[in-house]
Amino acid sequence: MSLDREQKEGSEVLLMGNEAIARGALEAGVRVAAGYPGTPSSEIIETLSRFSEAGKLYVEWSTNEKVAMEVAAAASFAGLRSLCVMKQNGVNVASDFLLHLTGSGTRGGMILITCDDPGALSSVNEGESRHFARLMEIPLLEPADFREAKEMTRWAFDLSEAIRNVVMVRSVTRMSHASGNVVLGALPAAGGKAQFRCDGPVSDPDRGPMISTPVIAKHRLQQEKLRKAAALFEDSPFNTYEGPETPELLIITSSVCTLYSREALSLLRAEGRAAILKLGTTWPLPPALLKKHLRGAEKVLIVEEVLPFLEDQVKILAAEQAREIGIKTFYGKNDGTLPMVGELNPDLVAAAVGRILGIVSPAIPAEYREKLQSLTAFVPKREQTFCPGCPHRASFWGIREALQRDSRGGFVCGDIGCYAMASLFPAAGFHTAKTLHSMGSGTGIASGFGKLGPFGMEQPVLAVCGDSTFYHAAIPALINAVHQNADITFIALDNSGTAMTGFQPHPGLDVNAMGEVSPKVDIAAICGAIGAPVVTGDPFALIETRETLNRLLEEPGVKVLILKQSCALSPENKEKKRFLVRVDEALCRGEACGCNRICTRIFRCPGLLWNRERKKAEIDEVICAGCGFCAGICPAGAIRNEEAANS
Amino acid sequence: MRETLAKDPYNIVITGVGGQGNVMASRVLSNMLVRKGFRVTIGETFGMSQRGGSVMSHIRVSPTAVWSPQIPKGMADLIVALEPIEAIRVLLDYGNPSVRVLVNLRAIYPVGVITGEDEYPSEGTIRDAVAALAAEARFLAATEEAIRLGNPILGNIVMIGAVASLGVLSIDRKLFEAVIRDGMPAALVEANLRAFAIGQAAVA
Amino acid sequence: MRDWESDPAGQESGRGGQKELEEQVLGAGLCTGCGACVSLCPYQTIYHDRTVVLHSCDLAQGRCYAACPRTPTDLGSLRSGLYNETDCTPELGALKGFFITRTTDEGARRRAQHGGTVTALMALALREGLIDTAILAEGGEGLLPRSITVRDPEAAGMPGGSRFVVSPTVAEFNRICLGNAAKIGVVATPCQALALAKMRKWGHDAASYPHFREVENGIEKLHLVVGLFCGWALSWQKLAALLKKKTDLARVTGMDIPPSRYHTLEVYTTGETVRVSLDEVDPCVREACRTCGDMTAEFSDLSVGSARLPEGWETARSWNQVIVRTERGMDLLELARDRGVLEFRAAPEGNLEKLKAASLGKKRAAASRNGKR
Repeated sequence: MSLDREQKEGSEVLLMGNEAIARGALEAGVRVAAGYPGTPSSEIIETLSRFSEAGKLYVEWSTNEKVAMEVAAAASFAGLRSLCVMKQNGVNVASDFLLHLTGSGTRGGMILITCDDPGALSSVNEGESRHFARLMEIPLLEPADFREAKEMTRWAFDLSEAIRNVVMVRSVTRMSHASGNVVLGALPAAGGKAQFRCDGPVSDPDRGPMISTPVIAKHRLQQEKLRKAAALFEDSPFNTYEGPETPELLIITSSVCTLYSREALSLLRAEGRAAILKLGTTWPLPPALLKKHLRGAEKVLIVEEVLPFLEDQVKILAAEQAREIGIKTFYGKNDGTLPMVGELNPDLVAAAVGRILGIVSPAIPAEYREKLQSLTAFVPKREQTFCPGCPHRASFWGIREALQRDSRGGFVCGDIGCYAMASLFPAAGFHTAKTLHSMGSGTGIASGFGKLGPFGMEQPVLAVCGDSTFYHAAIPALINAVHQNADITFIALDNSGTAMTGFQPHPGLDVNAMGEVSPKVDIAAICGAIGAPVVTGDPFALIETRETLNRLLEEPGVKVLILKQSCALSPENKEKKRFLVRVDEALCRGEACGCNRICTRIFRCPGLLWNRERKKAEIDEVICAGCGFCAGICPAGAIRNEEAANS
Repeated sequence: MRETLAKDPYNIVITGVGGQGNVMASRVLSNMLVRKGFRVTIGETFGMSQRGGSVMSHIRVSPTAVWSPQIPKGMADLIVALEPIEAIRVLLDYGNPSVRVLVNLRAIYPVGVITGEDEYPSEGTIRDAVAALAAEARFLAATEEAIRLGNPILGNIVMIGAVASLGVLSIDRKLFEAVIRDGMPAALVEANLRAFAIGQAAVA
Repeated sequence: MRDWESDPAGQESGRGGQKELEEQVLGAGLCTGCGACVSLCPYQTIYHDRTVVLHSCDLAQGRCYAACPRTPTDLGSLRSGLYNETDCTPELGALKGFFITRTTDEGARRRAQHGGTVTALMALALREGLIDTAILAEGGEGLLPRSITVRDPEAAGMPGGSRFVVSPTVAEFNRICLGNAAKIGVVATPCQALALAKMRKWGHDAASYPHFREVENGIEKLHLVVGLFCGWALSWQKLAALLKKKTDLARVTGMDIPPSRYHTLEVYTTGETVRVSLDEVDPCVREACRTCGDMTAEFSDLSVGSARLPEGWETARSWNQVIVRTERGMDLLELARDRGVLEFRAAPEGNLEKLKAASLGKKRAAASRNGKR
């Protein structure tokens, strides 16, 4: 049902945007692909890994995005086509290397695929990667639909080789995770041999060393490459125009906003009054193409996500071309026609176009709307929480009880992963996690807090860090904490996988992206080598965890506690129950003083239900994962665990 | 050779709670429609929403055009709800007087209900609300049927079978079989076919 | 039991749950560490001598608040339910009799804080089956005492030696009273005895506390309360920090405070005796003790403290003063005399007056502190 080896060239299949991108790379003959898991990008590497084959395609989950880009660059230097994949904030992590890479240039075609997340549907930021194209002076392509996602990715390799530099292809959640019809192209025959030719002079692009110096000369060369791309973009089939030649309103758009814009015009029946200039090549902007179409309209609306990147650049061009094209009225984000935050959708774009053209969008009949209001007041919200059986819930329970016993106002610096929910939803983490930023930052922030003792800070400082996050970014911060002698307790929440993004492997497992056996890199050993005392525990063993934590909280310096227990959704646990859990109604105290429903009111595992009629707690057998932890919380011993006879 | 649709685009929302097989259901249905020669866009959100959150797939079906992955407000033609209150939640944003709704009656309690803060509406209330807001409303015990077949997650296929019986899209068991034989291990095909048949029968 | 005055709604203003407990007691520095609010539920616990809230409980009325000796209490009503009016004195509470005693067991007396009366009485009560379970305090690790449950009369003879730090005795009572014990005896500080008395009251006054009826109580298993005289208790954390500077905590075998003119805390170790000026000890006193007016554990069956004798401290330190308050207490003391478990001597002229004066002194100090609050 998704992309696989059996599908034939010429067949029409339903592909996710990410799969289409992967297919485009395959059709271009990509040989090396590296990335770090990050929603909405992860399926690209996952899909490519299904096609991996020794000598033909190497696929890697790197420890972080910077390393992923470096790995892809090496392949390019050796003459192979490569790509690296990341979500928007991954580009931030890789940006220092990207800056230097774009100076040195590339050899085999190299693509940077970025998947942004407007509206932060799966992120804790809605930062944008498009600006990096302008900052780093490389071309930027944005597909507007699924067929184009494949075509553009394939062509991007050609462009990269034509200009000898990285090309950025930017997708968004609503493209990456949406699906549409794609016709599969041919897969090429095997490519050439890998060889890094480096015996020539610095100035030789084919045989010289790959360095970004001499900086001024290389920078000048980089800008020439960009101008070459701009020239190619003037005739690119990825830039299209539809609608009247001299419309009342010219919409300039890119990416999935193209589909929103088309749908908006359809909703308003305004196809005769507005035209759409859809740009697939969004940096550098092709000036002649823009001049041609800007001439034809007085009102221009720019539709994009999230920040006014296109808008600002189009305005700059328009100012330069003003004498030839005339004065324009621009609508977009800067004037408030479209919101400057969040993602767009057909309704928002229709409202904007409707305001400009004086058309009212068709609405649902008022009578129906009233029925909706009156009948739907009772829909309870659905909040996110840890899965049933999640070891993080147990870890944070232990942390909470230890911190309360400690009584000094201690807190947890949170980090990215499923356990980020402890910071995002206080009740999920039992009100312990109080900061949340980027990957690995919890440890760095804790390292900072841990030096404030002489300034009068008495609160114990903890950092939590997932296993994948540990390899990604926390190691330098942990080294810092030890070397600076900070007073922190570092808790590694090791659930044996990169769970939030779909259980991709990482260096702590003995398997890699391609399913091959590979050496494990042991977290405890690394922490020990850094010089911190290391204790390992099982978060499901509540009393031991709590006692260990209380002891550690009173010791000075860096202490490492590794809470190791596999994720409830991991292959080894999914749909298997360790215990059959049930509530003995006779013992259940329910709402009475002595319990007040601690299991359903505070612990809040979705497997536990409060039966309002019987006023007792119950286990939902379908949802309960059978971890048995809740039995240790019940003050009446009413929750019983029975060993399950397992498959 | 493409068939015609009741509407262009025809807009379907499949909704449920993370973990119910929402994505699988939308893929299966969409692949069936692609085989019939339609252009289909599916819009989905995964990631955080999987951890107990609401999940929605928007399916746009058209003979020729590629439509946006988000259905405009109030423009759903068919809502397939794998969970009862998600049906209401979707109707709130995408309902209109001519929408058809299929509802699986098995409740999955949000954490707020489990903890006693919120109340989960009774089945009667949900049935009345959906019936009042839809041109056609059908209710199924898809999860119960699926449990009888051996796996609760087959509830999503039962619902697809029900969609086939509705007659708004000309899809049938043969088409379903072709799609799943292509994408699924042979051992699972039989159970899926039975689930589909049960769904068809439930709405016949 | 006497007639309890039923509590007209609001008179005691004793309606509250965890939230009020935190506001009025735990967060206001009034917690004595008695343990009454602990082991009832998963929401509070005692850790390292601190009463700690683990999770938030939103019940409007809880047993924690009702039993806490520092929430508003109608002491008059409590007294009239437990004691004869005619026995009650304003200075010392109910007073049926006043005695000077000590254990006849030489070995026990050597191990004891003073006269060994308390351990002798508890061992006797267990032996005679007056109680089947005794809750006592023993020195734990690093000066942090713990409450222990004892069923063997021999074991009751073992603990001894005051550490001046409160152990959460009432928490231990809460924990075991739902188990197999049928008749429980408790050695209690004044605050703990007050908590137990409050629990007895609402155990009988179901009308005022209807929701507590749902919860199994166990308070009716309380058969004997032996109170301890108490001037104040020390915060374990602060005491440990202070003594760590003076000696190795592991070598400490006991502590005592001789009569006030010495103004010293004596710390006995396996080696020398360390003397600490009370000026250094005073900052370690628990905040809550400064507003307590009960020196002799007025809500007990009988209370025991150190004696004052004309021969001086060297003699007096091996005797106890005993205030008997109830018939049950009197019966136990008489039984001890009959069985030769306790030795008695005449109470010197003026002893009772001196004790009353001392007790009044504590009440006045507390009242003036309370006035300032």
